[in-house]
Amino acid sequence: MRLTDIMSYMALHVWAEIALVIFQIVFILVVARVLFAPKAEVKRLASLPLEDDTDFSLLEEVE
Amino acid sequence: MAFEFKAPGSASQLEQFSYDDAIVRKFFWATLIWGIVAFLVGVILAVELAFPQANVLPQVAFGRLRPLHTNAAIFAFAGNAIFTAVYYSTQRLCKARMWSDTLSKLHFWGWQLIIVSAAITLPLGITQSKEYAELEWPIDLAIAVVWLGFFGTNFLMTLVKRRERHMYVALWFYIASLVAVTILHVFNNLWIPVGVVQFLQTGEFGSAETVMKSYPLYAGVQDAFMQWWYGHNAVAFFLTTPFLGLMYYFLPKAANRPVFSYKLSIIHFWSLVFIYIWAGPHHLHYTALPQWASTLGMVFSLMLWMPSWGGMINGLLTLRGAWHKVATDPVLKFFVVGVTFYGMSTFEGPLLSVKTVNALSHYTDWTIAHVHSGTLGWNSFMTFGMLYWLAPRLFQTGKLHSEKLASLHFWTGTIGILLYVISIYTAGITQGLMWRAFDESGQLMYPEFIETVTKLMPFYWIRAVGGTLFLLSACLGGYNLVMTWMARPKKYEVPVHEAPALSKAYDDGPPAVSRLTANAGIGHAGDKFLQGHWHRRWERLPVRFTVWVVIAVGVASLLEIIPTFLIKSNIPTISTVLPYTPLEVAGRDIYVAEGCYNCHSQMIRPIYAETQRYGEYSKPGEFVYDHPFQWGSRRIGPDLAREGVKNPSASWHYQHFLNPQQFTSGSIMPSYKHLVEGDLDYAAIQPRIRALAMIGTPYGEAVKNAESMAREQAAAVAAEIRKDMAGADLPEDLENRKVIALIAYIKRLGTDIYRTPTAAPVEAAPAAEEGGAH
Repeated sequence: MRLTDIMSYMALHVWAEIALVIFQIVFILVVARVLFAPKAEVKRLASLPLEDDTDFSLLEEVE
Repeated sequence: MAFEFKAPGSASQLEQFSYDDAIVRKFFWATLIWGIVAFLVGVILAVELAFPQANVLPQVAFGRLRPLHTNAAIFAFAGNAIFTAVYYSTQRLCKARMWSDTLSKLHFWGWQLIIVSAAITLPLGITQSKEYAELEWPIDLAIAVVWLGFFGTNFLMTLVKRRERHMYVALWFYIASLVAVTILHVFNNLWIPVGVVQFLQTGEFGSAETVMKSYPLYAGVQDAFMQWWYGHNAVAFFLTTPFLGLMYYFLPKAANRPVFSYKLSIIHFWSLVFIYIWAGPHHLHYTALPQWASTLGMVFSLMLWMPSWGGMINGLLTLRGAWHKVATDPVLKFFVVGVTFYGMSTFEGPLLSVKTVNALSHYTDWTIAHVHSGTLGWNSFMTFGMLYWLAPRLFQTGKLHSEKLASLHFWTGTIGILLYVISIYTAGITQGLMWRAFDESGQLMYPEFIETVTKLMPFYWIRAVGGTLFLLSACLGGYNLVMTWMARPKKYEVPVHEAPALSKAYDDGPPAVSRLTANAGIGHAGDKFLQGHWHRRWERLPVRFTVWVVIAVGVASLLEIIPTFLIKSNIPTISTVLPYTPLEVAGRDIYVAEGCYNCHSQMIRPIYAETQRYGEYSKPGEFVYDHPFQWGSRRIGPDLAREGVKNPSASWHYQHFLNPQQFTSGSIMPSYKHLVEGDLDYAAIQPRIRALAMIGTPYGEAVKNAESMAREQAAAVAAEIRKDMAGADLPEDLENRKVIALIAYIKRLGTDIYRTPTAAPVEAAPAAEEGGAH
């Protein structure tokens, strides 16, 4: 029996549904991460591109 | 320039560093120059369609030039724009110079060399014929080395050596682009080089044409599936994600305020990366692709509305409180219209993926309008906005040469885009409706394809005007940027920055503690998980982050690709479908080299209007020997899938190639006189047949006698033409001309399913109609 035979007998039409489930799980995880992120941290991360012109020597690592 | 790096130690120890802006300036100019070249070639193509006499030389005829335009726009213009953005923003977001100046330079010059190679080979007809992946195998190898070896290594190592703990979201988009483009490029470019096969088997190198030639390992349906998995995701990960990275960095800079919602940008990133990769099959609705794959592509395309519009809204709302600046700042003008076009294109893409809409739009100019609203509106305007923002900073002039000129560029470009897309949307929908129109008696209302071509001519002219305006606007921009550069100081200052090195031992803070009281263990675990410490760790770990992106892209790809390749019922075998004869293979290669697929499809969809116009719909099993597939993606001319059935006359095709207007008044097909004058290289046929045999085409004696078999069949085709055109002025050695091979291939198209099955062993198809060449 070849691999193509095995694959042909498998009900692979459900792969679309599997894909949707995987997507939903990942999406929920991402949303969870976003909802629970501390506001102060997010504010600082969002302003990273604006730090170019600042004096880096005055910056402290903010955690 | 000297750098003084202090040994990493405590966080309070500062390291000094400067940014490599010289490499950014190089990519800056390359973007501008190649952009103007790409737009110029686009205008030439637009004129060639409206005025076919402009196809003066075979090297610059529409079929050969169109791939040059798309490659120049995508990889030369947008590619250099991406690298400009990446090299500028990555250094600043990482507070680190690029890891290796040498790799930066190798990347720059390597990429320009690839572009020049494309500009030479594509007009010469050296092509794989896979859209946006036309470049032949030696250039493919160079792309892999330059993209991953030079650029990828340099970029990832810069991330590893960065001095800012958090990787800003723009960097995530760059990582996704790097990873996905690598995967796409490798798997869509698995080929067998004909010249290498010849060398291994005979110890001889063939002609330059043979050395450059390759055949994809995949055939037919599988090749089409891989190509559009690549084609769609090239748009996703070359024209979308890196430009979103550009947007998330340069738009806040230009507006001087942080992105509207960093949280939304995280959702935007992950949902885009995860969903986009699934959507490719929507390019193959109603084709011989399995229905489940087609539906899957449509569903995921529709889901793309969500992240795409989230990203657009995030971009536009970044300007909250700064909208008054848009009226005066040309940079923001470009960005606002660019982001708006992103929203429009990403609304339209999923719309076109809906099967019923696709039935109308596919193969028409609607798709062309869609991609141009994306590339001109989104990619070009974001690029020009970035270039205008960068110029005073990179050239240290403090200001642009002329803001008024930049605004003029903006308005001229916008009018150019609108003229282009509105006329071509109209042309596309007109075309689609005319193809499917029936009269009261149930007959096609426009049975002659040419009627649907001549109707579009006014729109083609408007498109040419719009394209010219856009080209002129880019030239205005070029002048403005050059004048800004002229005002540069004699020597650029190189500011030295300071930042502490990242300590190796990083304190992630206290581990998450459940905030719940009375609850089961699983509840506590869930609460800890939801606090998101795990994701915050990824955001500072570039290697792990990259691995997760690979998994997101890989899972989606494998779930689609494996069933397509391994389920037998997807491509039912048709016993009468046989490999192409050696002469037909030579003819097919000419078809590929001339870029015929740019105007003609070879895929009749199971739609009544199509079967009425072109004949029996195409079956998956008909394409099992098509290396590469030639389904095409648009119909400037009619479909050719059953041309051998509908029009088997060799003399008709001979005369039609010489002068298409002789048979079809108003035809915009150029003359292919050079194929009548050019000699066929019979010696090059044998190695091609051997290469095809090596990748599974069941050639019997043709593996040894391909040349003599080809000559025999050519003599029969030439004899048929001489008989039909007795008294006409024909070349004495007609059988040695390229056109004979091409005619043999055209005569074969779509005929296999009408052949009577035989119990004979499978080998190259007998050319019965030509008088038994075997």
